[in-house]
Amino acid sequence: MNIEVQGLTRGFGRATAVRDVELSADAGVFGLLGPNGAGKTTLLRMLATVIPPSSGSVRLLGRDPAAHRERREIRRRLGYLPQQLGYYPNFTVFEFVEYFALLKEIPPARAARAAASAVDRVQLGDRARAKLRTLSGGMLRRVGIAQAIVNDPGLLLLDEPTAGLDPEQRMGFRALLREIGGSATVVVSTHLVEDVGAACDRVALMYDGRIVFHGSPAELTDRGLGHAVGDAPLERGYAAVLAQARL
Amino acid sequence: MMAADLDRVWEGVTARIWASQPAAVERVARRLLRSPGLARALVTTPSLLGSWLLASAAVLAVGVLVSRELGTTLVPLLAPALAGAGIAYSYGPGTDPAYELTRSVPVSARTVLLARALAVFAVNAALGVAASLAAPAAGGVTVAWLVPMTAVAALCLAAATLTGSPAAGAAIGLAGWAIAVLAAQVATGGAERAASVPALILPDLLFAAACVAVVLHVTRIPGDRVRGGI
Repeated sequence: MNIEVQGLTRGFGRATAVRDVELSADAGVFGLLGPNGAGKTTLLRMLATVIPPSSGSVRLLGRDPAAHRERREIRRRLGYLPQQLGYYPNFTVFEFVEYFALLKEIPPARAARAAASAVDRVQLGDRARAKLRTLSGGMLRRVGIAQAIVNDPGLLLLDEPTAGLDPEQRMGFRALLREIGGSATVVVSTHLVEDVGAACDRVALMYDGRIVFHGSPAELTDRGLGHAVGDAPLERGYAAVLAQARL
Repeated sequence: MMAADLDRVWEGVTARIWASQPAAVERVARRLLRSPGLARALVTTPSLLGSWLLASAAVLAVGVLVSRELGTTLVPLLAPALAGAGIAYSYGPGTDPAYELTRSVPVSARTVLLARALAVFAVNAALGVAASLAAPAAGGVTVAWLVPMTAVAALCLAAATLTGSPAAGAAIGLAGWAIAVLAAQVATGGAERAASVPALILPDLLFAAACVAVVLHVTRIPGDRVRGGI
C-alpha cells in the first residue's frame, strides 16, 4: 500500500481538524470529498509531510515519514499541490518547475528535461518562458500541477487541483490523472463531485474531521438512491451521506 | 518505440530552449553547497534580493556620511540592526511565497534556513566592513561589531522562528539591540561601547549559541510546530 494511515489525528490548539482517520490506498486515483472545513486540507498536508500528526501512525510509499532518512526518500517520490500555490512572480513557468525538480533532487542534467516534460503534460509549452505574474489563475494552477508531477511521483497529492480550470482543461486534467493513476497513488481533494465521478476509482468523504464514507463512486451513488437533494446521482449520494453524518 | 524516442528528443530540445543559464552567484553556490536545489533556494532568499540589498547599502551609506560629518560611530550600531532584520526576513511563510511547497521536498527546510541565514549574515557583514572602512570615525571598533551582530542576528532568527512572524522577529531583535546600546550609553557614556567592549564578546557568543539552539529545537521534526517555523 502506498498510503497506510491509522488513528490519525491532528489538532490546532483546542480545535481538532482531523480525528482518528483510518485510510489505505494503492495505485489509482483516490478522491477526497467533503464540505469546507471538513479536514481535507489538513489530512493532505499530513500526507505531504508538511505537518506531522498529533497522534496516530502514517506510512507512505512503504516508509515512515517520522524518520529523517525515510522522510527524505518519501519526498523524492512525492508530488504535492497545495490549496494556495505560492510562487515567485518573476520566475518563468519553466524556471519554477525546474526549481522544484532541483529541490526534489533530480540531478541537474535531468532536471531541465523533466521540467520540459511536465510543462508539456499540462499543456503550457507555449507559455514556458512567460513570467508567472503574467498568467491567469487557471494557468497558475497548471503550473502547480506541473511542479507536482515533475519527479514522476509515486504519490501525488492534489488539493483543489481543478479550481480555476475551464471545462476543457478539466477534462484534459482528468485524463492526466487517470494516466498517472495507472502507476501511482493520486489523492485529489475537491468539493467538485463530478471530478470524482469522472476520474476516481475510490472515494472518501470527510465531515468534521472524520471519514464518514469510504468506497467506490458507484457505492456512493447507491447511497443516494431515494434522496431528493442533488442534481446528479453522485451528488445525491454525497448529500445523503453528509445528511446522515450531521444527524 | 519511435514515438517515445521522438518525445525524448523533443523534451531535450525544448529544455534547451526554455532553460536559462543560472546566474554566476547560483553557479558559485552550487559548487559551495553541492546541492543545485539548495543553491536555487539561496538565490530566492527574500532579503538577498536587489531591492533589500540596495536599501541596506543606502542606510549604511547614510551612516558613513553622518559618521564623517559628526565624528560619531554610527556604522557599528547600524550594521547589527540591518543584519538582524535581514535574517528575520530571509525565510519562512511570512516572506517566502513558496514556503508550503518547500516543506514537502527532500532538501530540508532547516538546511535552507541555515544556508539563507548564513548568506544574509555574510552579505551584511561585508556591507558593514565596507561601510566601516569608509567611516574613519569608527576607528577602533571597525569590525568589533561583528560579535554583537552575530548575537542580534541570532536573536532575530530565534524570535522570528518562535513567533512565526518575520516582523515580530525583527522587532524583538532590534529592541534587544536598542536596549544594549542604551545600556552602554548610560553605563559608559558611549553608545558605541555596546559594539566594542571585549568583556561582552563571550556573553554575546553564548547568547547567540543559545538562540541557535532555540531555532534548532523549534524547527525539529517530529513535534514540529503547526506553522513550521518563521
